[in-house]
Amino acid sequence: MDKKTVTTISYLSRLKIDKNNEDKITSDLENIITFVDQLNDVSVEGIEPLTSPLEKIAKTRSDKVTAKNNKEIFLERAPKSNEDYFLVPRVVE
Amino acid sequence: MSIRYKTIKELSYMLKNKEISNKELIEETFKLIKDNQYLNSFITLNKEKALEKASNIDNTSSLLSGIPIAQKDLFCTKDLRTTCGSNMLSDFIPPYSATVIENLENAGCISVGKTNMDEFAMGSSNETSFFGNVLNPWGENLVPGGSSGGSASAVAAGLVPAATGTDTGGSIRQPASLCGISGLKPTYGRISRWGMIAFASSLDQAGPMARTAEDCAIMLNEMCSHDPKDTTSIDEAVPDFTATLDESIKGLKIGIVKEFDLSRLDNAVVKVFEETKRHYESLGAEFVEISLPNISLSVPTYYVVAPAECSSNLSRFDGVKFGKRSMDPINLEDLYIKTRSEGFGDEVKRRILIGSYVLSAGFYDAYYKKAQQVRRLIKNDFDEAYKLVDVIMSPTTRGAAFEAGSKGSDPIQMYLEDLFTIPANLAGLPALSIPNGMVDSKPVGVQLIGNFLEEQKILQVAHSFQKSTDWHLKTPDGDKA
Amino acid sequence: MSWETVIGLEIHVQLSTKSKLFSGGSTGFGAEPNTHVDLIDMGLPGVLPVANRDAFFKAIRFGLATNAEINQTSTFDRKNYFYPDLPKGYQITQMAMPIVGKGSIRIETDNGEKLINITRAHLEEDAGKSIHDLFEGETGVDLNRAGTPLLEIVSEPEISNAQEAVAYFKAIRQIVTFLDICDGNMAQGSMRCDVNVSIRKSGDKELGTRAEIKNINSFKFIERAINHEIARQIKIIESGDSVVQETRLYDSIKNETRSMRSKEEANDYRYFPCPDLLPVVISDDELNEIKNNLPELPKQKIKRYVNEINLDESEAKIIAASKTMANIFEEACKKTKDSKLVAKWLVGDVSALLNKDNIDIEESNLSSSNFAKLIERITDDTISGKIAKSVLEEVWISGDDVDKIIENKGLVQIQDETVLEKVAQSIIDNNPSQVKAYKDGKDKLFGFFVGQVMKETQGKANPKSVNEILNKLLK
Repeated sequence: MDKKTVTTISYLSRLKIDKNNEDKITSDLENIITFVDQLNDVSVEGIEPLTSPLEKIAKTRSDKVTAKNNKEIFLERAPKSNEDYFLVPRVVE
Repeated sequence: MSIRYKTIKELSYMLKNKEISNKELIEETFKLIKDNQYLNSFITLNKEKALEKASNIDNTSSLLSGIPIAQKDLFCTKDLRTTCGSNMLSDFIPPYSATVIENLENAGCISVGKTNMDEFAMGSSNETSFFGNVLNPWGENLVPGGSSGGSASAVAAGLVPAATGTDTGGSIRQPASLCGISGLKPTYGRISRWGMIAFASSLDQAGPMARTAEDCAIMLNEMCSHDPKDTTSIDEAVPDFTATLDESIKGLKIGIVKEFDLSRLDNAVVKVFEETKRHYESLGAEFVEISLPNISLSVPTYYVVAPAECSSNLSRFDGVKFGKRSMDPINLEDLYIKTRSEGFGDEVKRRILIGSYVLSAGFYDAYYKKAQQVRRLIKNDFDEAYKLVDVIMSPTTRGAAFEAGSKGSDPIQMYLEDLFTIPANLAGLPALSIPNGMVDSKPVGVQLIGNFLEEQKILQVAHSFQKSTDWHLKTPDGDKA
Repeated sequence: MSWETVIGLEIHVQLSTKSKLFSGGSTGFGAEPNTHVDLIDMGLPGVLPVANRDAFFKAIRFGLATNAEINQTSTFDRKNYFYPDLPKGYQITQMAMPIVGKGSIRIETDNGEKLINITRAHLEEDAGKSIHDLFEGETGVDLNRAGTPLLEIVSEPEISNAQEAVAYFKAIRQIVTFLDICDGNMAQGSMRCDVNVSIRKSGDKELGTRAEIKNINSFKFIERAINHEIARQIKIIESGDSVVQETRLYDSIKNETRSMRSKEEANDYRYFPCPDLLPVVISDDELNEIKNNLPELPKQKIKRYVNEINLDESEAKIIAASKTMANIFEEACKKTKDSKLVAKWLVGDVSALLNKDNIDIEESNLSSSNFAKLIERITDDTISGKIAKSVLEEVWISGDDVDKIIENKGLVQIQDETVLEKVAQSIIDNNPSQVKAYKDGKDKLFGFFVGQVMKETQGKANPKSVNEILNKLLK
C-alpha cells in the first residue's frame, strides 16, 4: 500500500487525508489488507460468488407512474438550491 | 408502580389493567430518559409526538399498543431528525419513514426517540458516533458495544422495554451481550430494508432488542413483513414467532463449532459457556460437535464485502442534494472532498477507502470476487451442519464489556470483537444473543444461530433457558423481583 | 500513407416506458425541473430500486429484431463515479449479464449492404441533467431524467467511415421507432451516441489507440465529429506523436473535438454486482408473447405493401422509411379503402412538401386522422384531387381540420348535374368558333372547354361529371 495507491483510492472516494494523518491511515490500510490477505490461500475453484444470501429471483414492477411532484420536499432539504434546481459550483466540462 | 426494567409483556399487562395510563407511561419514560442522560443513549427525543400519540391511543388488543420503543437512528423517521450517528446527516429530516418503523407504529408502539449508534453502523463499541460515546449502565466508562450501542444501553438501563437495532456483522447481538439483554437478528430478508440507511446491503438486517427472548418474538411479529418496495425482502408468510416458545427442547440437537477454539478465550468466559451447556443438557438438549471448516475466514471475508458495499452506498453523501455541505467550496471537486472529509469520521473513512481498494481494477478478482466465493463456502458449511443439528451455539462475544478507549488505535483489534457474530450475517441466517452469565460483574451472552427462516426454533431454545434461569432478570441496579 | 478508420458506436436509446427503470417516477419530457423525481430517483438514504419489467420487454424486442441472443436471466451492476446529476454516486447498469447479447443489423452504404455486428445491448438508468449556463458561477441540477431507462447498444468496431456511422445510427433509429420502444426524437435527446474512433495504416490488423467522442445527438454532428477526429488523429500520427486514449467532446459551433477537462481517465468505475437487485428472469412464456407480438419492421411492411396492397416497391420503401409515415399510411388505408390513392398522395404531394420545408414528417402539422380525412373527401367526391392539393397546403400551414377548411373556403365540389349542365351549356353557347373547330376534328380543344367550366366554377366542378356532360353536349 504505497502513497500513490492511497492517493488514488482517496481521490476515487473523494476523501482527503490530512498530512498529519497520512502515515497512520496508510499503515491502518496496510494492516487491514494484510489481514484480509488470508483469503489468498483458499481454493475457490468452481465456486460461484455469493451476491445475496437469498437464492431467489427478482420481483419486478409494472410500468406505472406512482410518484407525485415532490419538488418542494426535496429542494427544501438541499444544502443549496433555488426554487427549481439543486445548485453546485459551476462545472466545466 | 415503577415502570423501569419492565418487559413489554409486563407493561402491556399494566396498561390493560389500568395500573398506569398511556400518558403516564410515556411521561415516566421520558423522566427516566432525562434522569439517565449521562448514558448518552439518545440523539433525538420525540416527546411531543409521543405524548400526543399516547393521548390518542385506542387500546387495541395488540401487545405493543402504547408501549414506548426506542428507534435506532439508522431508520428514517418521517419529519424526525435521522442522523445515523454522523455529522453528515446531523440535520437530516427524512420525508418518509422506514417500513419497520411504520409496522411498529401501526401496531401501536410509541417511538420515544432515536438512539445513538456507531457512525453509519460501523463499529463495535459506540465510540465512533459524532454525538459522543454511549455508556454501558453496567459500569463506569464501559462500552455498551456497537453499533446499536444506544439501543442496547437504553434497554439495559430499563429506560424502555425494547428498542430496534440493526445488525450487519453483529451490531445487535454483540451490544446485547455486553449489556446483558436479548437481541435478535432475523434471517436476511425477513424485515424490509426500505428506509434503513444502507451500510452493507447484502448483510444489513433490522431486529429487536429487549429484556427477554419472548419480547423479541413479540416485536418480531410486527417488524417482519414482505415489502414490495424492498425486492430483497422475503415473501414467505410471517409466522407467529411466539407460538412455539413454550415447546420442549428435549432431544433438540445443539451444534458446537469445532473451529471456534474456545480454549483461547478467557477462563471466566469459558466457564460461563460450559455452565450454559450443562443447563441445556439438563433440559434435554443434545450437544453435537460440528465442523464449519471455513469459519476462520469469516472476519477477513466480512472486511472485504462490507467495506466494498459501504463505499458504494455512502457515495450518495456528496453535499449536493441533502445532508451537510462544506462551507464555500471553490469548485465541484472541492465540494465533494471537503464535504465528505468533514462529514465522515475516521472509521467510516477507513472502510470507504478499503472498499474502494478491494473493488478497484486489478484488485477486484483477488479481493471482492474471492471474498464472495469464500462467503459461499461459509454458507455451504452451515447448510451441511444443519443436516446434523437444529441450532448452533457459541459465546456471543470474546468477553464482557471493555473500557472505552481500551482497544487502542488498531482497527483490527476492534474487528475481532465480531468473530462469533459475523458468520451468521455472511450466510444470512437468523441469530440471537441472550444473557447467560457474569464475568467480573459484567454480563455476557450466549449466541444461538438457526437455519434459514428458523427464528422460531432459536427463540424457543432461548425462551426455555430464560424460563429456567434468571440471568435476564439481572439489572445494573440489582436483580428484578 | 493510406489510412483506414475503425469506428464503434455506443448508442443510448431512451426507452419509452411511462415510468422509470427503478421507480414510479414519470419519464415524461419537458416537465418543470425536479417535478418528476421519486424518492428512489433522489437516492435518498434508505431507498431501494425495484426493476420495471416493461423495460426488459422493450429491450427484448430490440434483441429479437436484431437476431440477438436474449439472456433470459440478467443481473445488474453498479458503476461508481461522482457527478452532480448522478444522485447515488453510482449508476445501476448491466456489465456482467446484459439482457441482450450478440446480434447484427444491415446498413445501406455506397458499396451496397453491409452487416454490422452488435456486441450487446443492456439496460441502465439515465442520469439527471446539469444546466451550466443559467446561473452565474453555478450549475443547476435537474433530476427529472434521473432513472429513465436506457438501452445501451454497443456495436463492434466494424464501421469504416462517417457515412457508415450515420447509416448505422439511422438504421438503429429506424428499428427502435418501428418497435415502439423509443420515440426517436433526437432533439429531445431520446437517442444519444458516443463514438469511438481510431485509425491505423491500411492493411494493419491491430487497432490503433481510440478516442471516445461523447454525447452526440444529431446525424450531421456525428458525421462532422468523426471526420474532424480522423483528420486530427492522422495529423498527430504523421507528426510523430501518438494518439492519447481519452474522452472528447464535440463542439458543433467550432466544429472540433476537445479533450474533456474532468479527470475521467483517472476514473476506475469499480463495477460490482448491485446487492439490492436480484437476478431478473424472463420466462419462456413471456419471451414467446413478445415474439408473437413484435411490431412490423420496415422490411416486413414493404413486403406486405407490395404483395397485399399492390404498391410499387419504390413507393413502399418511401412509406416504410419512417414509423410515422407508415402509421399515417396504414390509418388512412383503414379509413378510405383506396390504398393506392393514399400511397400516391404520401409519396407525391406530402413528400414534396416535406422536401420543400426540409423537415421530417414528425415535425409537420399533418396528423394521421386529418390526412385520412383528406383522402376520404377525395374518394367520397366532396372535393376533387386538384382542390385537395390546396386543402393539403392549408393543413400543412395551419394544421386545421380538413372539413373545416373545406367549409370555410367553400371548396365543396359541385356535383349537381343540372348546375354543371347549365354552366357547360353557357360556355358552349359563348364559344361558337371553338365548338365548330372541335367538331371539325380539333380534339385538343376539349381541354379548353373543361378549363372554362372549371374557371367558371372556381375549380369546384367534379371533373368526371364535367367530362361526361361536355362529351354529351359536344356530340
